[in-house]
Amino acid sequence: MEIQKKKEDNIMVIAVSGRLDAVTSPELEKELLSIIAEGNKSLVLDFAKLDYISSAGLRVVLAGAKKIKQQQGILRLACLKGVVKEVFEVSGFDSIIPCFDTADSAFKAGS
Amino acid sequence: MIGKSGIALRISLLVLSSITVIFSSVFIYNYLFSRQIIQTNIERNAESLTQATVNKIDGVLSAVERVPINLAVFLEEFSYSGGELIGLIKAVVENNPEIYGAAIAFEPYAYSPNAKDFAPYFFKQDGKLQFTYIPYDYFGWDWYQIARELKKPVWTEPYFDEGAGGIIMATFSVPFYKRIEGERVLTGVVTADISLSWLQKILSSLKISETGYAFLISKNGTFITHPDPDLVMNETIFSVAEARSDAQLREIGRRMVQGDTGYAPFTSLVTGKRCWLKYSPLPASGWSLAVLFPQDELMTDIARLNRTVISIGLAGFFFLLLVIVWIARSITRPLRGLSKAAGQIARGDLDAEIPDVRNRDEVANLAESFRFMKTSLKKYIADLRETTAAKERIESELKIAHDIQMSIIPKTFPPFPDRDEFDLYATIEPAREVGGDLYDFFFLDDTHLCFLIGDVSGKGVPASLFMAITRTLIKAKAAQGLEPGTLLTRVNEDLCIDNDAVMFVTLFLGILDVRTGEIRYSNAGHNPPFIMRKAGALEKIQGTGGTALGTMEGLVFKSRSVVLSPGDVIFLYTDGVTEAFDAGGALFSDQRLIKDLSTVTNGSVKDITESIMASVKAFAKDAAQSDDITMLVIQFRGGASYTTAR
Repeated sequence: MEIQKKKEDNIMVIAVSGRLDAVTSPELEKELLSIIAEGNKSLVLDFAKLDYISSAGLRVVLAGAKKIKQQQGILRLACLKGVVKEVFEVSGFDSIIPCFDTADSAFKAGS
Repeated sequence: MIGKSGIALRISLLVLSSITVIFSSVFIYNYLFSRQIIQTNIERNAESLTQATVNKIDGVLSAVERVPINLAVFLEEFSYSGGELIGLIKAVVENNPEIYGAAIAFEPYAYSPNAKDFAPYFFKQDGKLQFTYIPYDYFGWDWYQIARELKKPVWTEPYFDEGAGGIIMATFSVPFYKRIEGERVLTGVVTADISLSWLQKILSSLKISETGYAFLISKNGTFITHPDPDLVMNETIFSVAEARSDAQLREIGRRMVQGDTGYAPFTSLVTGKRCWLKYSPLPASGWSLAVLFPQDELMTDIARLNRTVISIGLAGFFFLLLVIVWIARSITRPLRGLSKAAGQIARGDLDAEIPDVRNRDEVANLAESFRFMKTSLKKYIADLRETTAAKERIESELKIAHDIQMSIIPKTFPPFPDRDEFDLYATIEPAREVGGDLYDFFFLDDTHLCFLIGDVSGKGVPASLFMAITRTLIKAKAAQGLEPGTLLTRVNEDLCIDNDAVMFVTLFLGILDVRTGEIRYSNAGHNPPFIMRKAGALEKIQGTGGTALGTMEGLVFKSRSVVLSPGDVIFLYTDGVTEAFDAGGALFSDQRLIKDLSTVTNGSVKDITESIMASVKAFAKDAAQSDDITMLVIQFRGGASYTTAR
C-alpha cells in the first residue's frame, strides 16, 4: 500500500494505492488520524488505484469518517471501482459515507 | 609472536629499518667527509712539515757550502803561506758548528815542487779540534776526484771515514784555481764535512705522531739517515724495494732520486704499518727527504669518532626498539584484550570483561564503543527475552481465545438429528490469528430456525470479543420474536453504544420456516448468500439495503423473504471465500464461486461445503490464509415430513 497526499483549497486528497488489509490499514489509520488532528476538515480518499480492501480497511475508513465528523468535518470517497466498489456496496458503507465517481467531483462537492 | 603482535612487529620493522637506513647514510657520509677533511689536513701538514724540514736541512747545508766556496775564492785571489792555510782551516772548523771538518787538498806538486801531496785537515773529535794531514793517496777519493773532474762544487755520497774519527759523513768539495801566466789552473779542492749523525739528530727531532719518522736518501738512493741504523749506508731504497719485491717502493725511490716531490701510500719499513709518505728533494745536495705519517694514528680521531657514533647509534637503535615495542604493545595490548572480549561476546558471553584503556586515544574510543555495544546487546537481549516472553504469553492467550471462540460456535453435525425438514452444515477455517467470522443457528420455536453468518471487521481478540457480543445480542433479541430487520436494527443500536473502536460486523440473518421453506431475512452489509435451486438455477439472494452493524446509530434494517422449495439450498459464506488470495495476489472471486457452486448442485450440504473449501484451498495453494473462511449451507427438504411426523 502507498499513500500520497495533496492539499488544495483546504481539501486534503489522499490517494491510496495497492491493498488495504489487516496488515496495511493501521498505517492509513495513523495517517488519517494525524491529518484530522492537524485540523483538516475536508478529506477525499481517492481509491482509484486501490486493488483490494478488507474489513479492517473498511473499519479504518469508517473510523476516519466518524472522527472527522466529530470535528464538523467530512470524509468523502472517490473513484471506487471493481472489488473495492463491491465491498462498499455489499457492506452498505456507500450509504453512510458519500462516494463520488471522480476525485474532481468529490473535490467540488467539498468546496 | 608474529601472529600475536603483528602490529608491534610491523611497526618495529618499518621504523627501525627506516632509521637504520637514515642513520647508515648519515654515518657513511659523515665518515667519508671527515675522513676527507682529515686526509686533506694530513696532506697539508705533511707538506708543510716536509718543506720546513727540507728548508731547515737545506739552510744548514747552504751555510756549510758557503764556507769552502768562499775559501776557494780567497785561495784564487790571494797569496798565502802554509801556516796561513792551516790557520784558515782551523778558524773555519772552529767557527762553524755545523762543519765537522774542513781540508784544503792540493794537486800533486801544486803546493810545493818538493811535496807531491799537501792536504791539511782539521776535524772535531769528542768536542776537541784535531789536526792531521790527509795521507798521500787522497787523489783517488770521491771527495777529491769528482769535484776535480767536474770542475764544480759537489756533495759527495755519504761515506764512512775511518781516518777522521770513524763517523759517517758527507763532504762538500769545491775546486780552487791559481792564476798562472793569465791562465786559471786547477790547484786543489777545498772541502767541508758534515757529520750525518747531526742530520740524524735533526730528523729524529721531528715529532710525527707516535710512530712516524723521516729518512733521507742520497742521489743514488743510499739511506743517509733512517731510524733503522742497519740500513744507513748499507742499503739503498732500491735494494730494499728489491728485497721486499715492492714495485711501489721502487717507483717512489725512482721519483725521489729524480728530485720529484710527491705523496704516496706506503708501508713502513720499521713498523710495517700502513702510512702516507711525503717526499721532497733537498736542492743543494740533490738528496731527498721522505716523511712517513702512520695512517692509523692519524685516523685515530676519526676511528674514535666512528666508534662513538656507532655506539650512540646502536644505543639509540636499541632504545628506539624498546620504545617502539612499548608503544606498539601499549596499543595492541588493549586491542588483544578487545579482540578476546569480542570473541567471548560473539560466543554469547555478554559478561565478558572489556579491558580498561587508560589513554584517551582511538583504542580507548573503540573500547568505549565495545562497552556500549555490550551494554546495548545485553539490554537488547533482555528486552528481546521479555518481548518474546510477552509474545508467547499473548500467543498462548490468543490460542485460548481461539479455542473459546471455536467452542462457542456449534460444530456438531447434523446439529438436529431428529429434524429431517432440512440438512445443515457449516464450517469455519480460521486464519492463523483469532478471526472475526461467526455463524450460528438455533430454533426460535419448533418451526423457526434462525441462522446467521457474519464477519467482524479486523481480526484478533477485539474482533473475537465483538463477535461474541454480537452473537449474544442476536440470541437475546431473537428470543423476543422479532422480524429479522427489526432484530438487526435493535442489535445495531446496542452495538453502536460506546463503540469507540469503530468496530462493525457484516451480518446476514435469516429465519427459516421449516414447514413452508420460507426464509425471512435481513442483510447488514454481508455478502449476499446464494440460493441453489434443485432444478440447477443459482440465484444471488436479493439485498435489503442494509449497512454493516455498528457503523452508525439509527440505521433501519428491512426484511425480505425468499421461499425454498424442497431440495433447494441456501449457501451462506464470508468474504474469506471470495477474497482468498493465491500466491500471485489474485482473488478467488465471486465468479469462481458461482462456477464451483454450479458444479455441486446435487451434492449434500457437507459435500457442497467441502467441495468449495477444497476449491478455495487448491486456488490459494501455498499463499498464507489472510482471513477466516466460513460457510453455512442449509438444504430445505420440505415440510411434509414434519407434518407427517406430527
